[in-house]
Amino acid sequence: MAPSVDYYCPCLAASPHPPPPHLPSSSDSFHPLHNLFFCEECDAVRCNRCVMVEVSGYYCPNCLFEVPSASVRAEKNRCARNCFLCPNCRNTLSVVPSDPPNDGYDRMSPIVSTSLGEPPFFLYCNHCRWDSAQVDITFEKPTGLAAQLQKFEDSAPEALEFDRLKEHFEPFLRASSSSSAVTPSSSHHHSNPITAAASSALARDIPGVSKYNPLSRSRSGRDKSSHKADIPDYKARMEVGAAAGMGAGGGEADLEFMRHLETVAEVATVEQRWVNSWVSSLHTDDLKPLRIPLQSKKSKRCPSCRHILIKPEQKAQSVRYKIKLVAANYLPAISVSLPHARAALETMKRSLNRSAAQSEDQSPAAAALLAGKTYSFHISFTNPLYDPIQVRLKKAQAMPAPGTEGAGEKAKRPPFQVNLPSAAFPIAAFAEAWEYEDDEDMFGLDDDDDLDGLGRLQKDQRSKTRTVGVVEKRANVTVVAGEVILTKESRGNVKFNMLVSYTYRSDDPDPAEENAMGTPSRHASSKPPEMKNFSFYTVVDLGTIAPREETIHDTDM
Amino acid sequence: MPPIRDKFTIHSKAVVCQDVELKGDITVGAGTIVHPKATIFAIAGPIVIGAGCIVEEGVILVNRRKEVMRIGDDNLFEIGCRVECPSIGNFNTISARARVHHTVRISSYCVIGAACLVVPTEDEILDEYTVIYGPAAERRIWSGRGKVQEADLRRKHAEYLKEMLPKFNRLRRGDGT
Repeated sequence: MAPSVDYYCPCLAASPHPPPPHLPSSSDSFHPLHNLFFCEECDAVRCNRCVMVEVSGYYCPNCLFEVPSASVRAEKNRCARNCFLCPNCRNTLSVVPSDPPNDGYDRMSPIVSTSLGEPPFFLYCNHCRWDSAQVDITFEKPTGLAAQLQKFEDSAPEALEFDRLKEHFEPFLRASSSSSAVTPSSSHHHSNPITAAASSALARDIPGVSKYNPLSRSRSGRDKSSHKADIPDYKARMEVGAAAGMGAGGGEADLEFMRHLETVAEVATVEQRWVNSWVSSLHTDDLKPLRIPLQSKKSKRCPSCRHILIKPEQKAQSVRYKIKLVAANYLPAISVSLPHARAALETMKRSLNRSAAQSEDQSPAAAALLAGKTYSFHISFTNPLYDPIQVRLKKAQAMPAPGTEGAGEKAKRPPFQVNLPSAAFPIAAFAEAWEYEDDEDMFGLDDDDDLDGLGRLQKDQRSKTRTVGVVEKRANVTVVAGEVILTKESRGNVKFNMLVSYTYRSDDPDPAEENAMGTPSRHASSKPPEMKNFSFYTVVDLGTIAPREETIHDTDM
Repeated sequence: MPPIRDKFTIHSKAVVCQDVELKGDITVGAGTIVHPKATIFAIAGPIVIGAGCIVEEGVILVNRRKEVMRIGDDNLFEIGCRVECPSIGNFNTISARARVHHTVRISSYCVIGAACLVVPTEDEILDEYTVIYGPAAERRIWSGRGKVQEADLRRKHAEYLKEMLPKFNRLRRGDGT
């Protein structure tokens, strides 16, 4: 597994310290950078687990029609137009005309007509070649299919049964609506007009469903017991056995079918059948095309200050966002690599001259972290801000045991020691590619003046000194090197928490001062820029330690 | 192993581009289109391709058996597929990146879906109208509805290519040597 860096989101936890990374449950609070958001008001990282999500619109994924939220409920969350799913493979069905009936039309005819095909139309799946004529569903016109199918759906025995159930329970629900035991949820204020419209649509008077009254207090116990005795027994429209005989599922008919099965393919799989809430037929031949379920576009808010972090555009086909406060625009992007792994991969590719895929399979053997050795790793930081920043790294927790005690300890946690550069290092601001002055990308050769004096990484084998410090600075990327020392008994993953703090200059001028001084333009440069500080935790995963099997040992730390 | 002697019999109405790798005894029927960068290797035995077939880029047709590999008429081999079966019928579609082993014999009107691996361990004959789809290469039988329109479309496809490909690619003519 490639070395990776994940970021920690506190998720409104009390303590800002992340859990130790060797615990299996800790992986839940660490996320890759592209999953994180950043709230400017609270100056905090937010992740998908702690943001408030609300629906900003519904659309059909096939025809990309934006469905108003009022009709969403009426159409049972499905597309009301010509969009259907193949019951066999879940692909979208297309409406095609049938073949012309002339079967004497053989291949010898050189005349190619412009368009063949005539009504009746039917639904056809391009992927598995299922067509709706197998279940006798054909249409006279290629448009308005939903309306044509509506008649079939309404007269299905399940729909009629459901309507009868609703009528049966309607008077009791109406009577008990005043004493509903619903606990009011935390927030009823609908700031979003869409949700306000949705909730008013929910509260619309639909026969059989009581009005949702969030402010009522429950009078539990008093009325409910009296009501329970009042409900008479419900008589189904038809007996369960009779329903099975009609192919609705269950009972003797299924047994007979199973006894005379010839191939497994005749039985519909569970995935194909559990779309409905009621039992449907077991035969594969009875599967009907399904309407395409609608999908929703969501907007996300910060949980504490309710600032909108993500707001998509209203149009269904556009994938952009009106508001997009993602963490990648505020936090530096960190990636880690092991230079010895890359070098092993290169030599293997060159010497054996094989394809990249094959050499990748064999390189883990050469590039693995062997217990008892010392490895250096490179961490590269990319600055997304338009101002240069100063970054400081720190190990987040005391490591369980330094390497010298490894022999006597049970290796429940991999004992290893990590050295990180302790000095602050700057990263240049993000700018367009042509604005950067240093355009040579030679590794480490141009950076004589910029290094902190901690030296340069030696690549030749003779020198044993490994350096911890800045390796390369290029455009808005800085690469620093650290080293990890593994003891002979260490096992498991090499993972450690790292605190990254950086200071950047915020360019908000103080408004009070401006008014006092009158003309801000003259005095803009006289105010010192205020430096803001931000820090976040990350977990660096360098990979799994492969135990050493040979007794040949080279220099231990 | 005897050296492979090249013997190409290409019909005058067929369109075979210059950039195709041909090896061995290959016969190409009338109206067949072979796109550039296709590969047809008749290593151990000859390959006979029927009329009206379309072989797209990156297709590999290999015959490692001594018997003749017969490919029927109006088949479509989409980009990147690899076919080794000893006999193929008419009007089949082998979709992109599919792989068909030499143990399978394909009859007519079959559809092998994209990226499907048809690699049974024993010899097998696919029935007519078999459709193989999905990542697990599930099978079902097509009802055959719509086959006239599809045949029509394939003919139109082949005619269009016959017109356009020679304008932009050099053609290889059969020589029989």
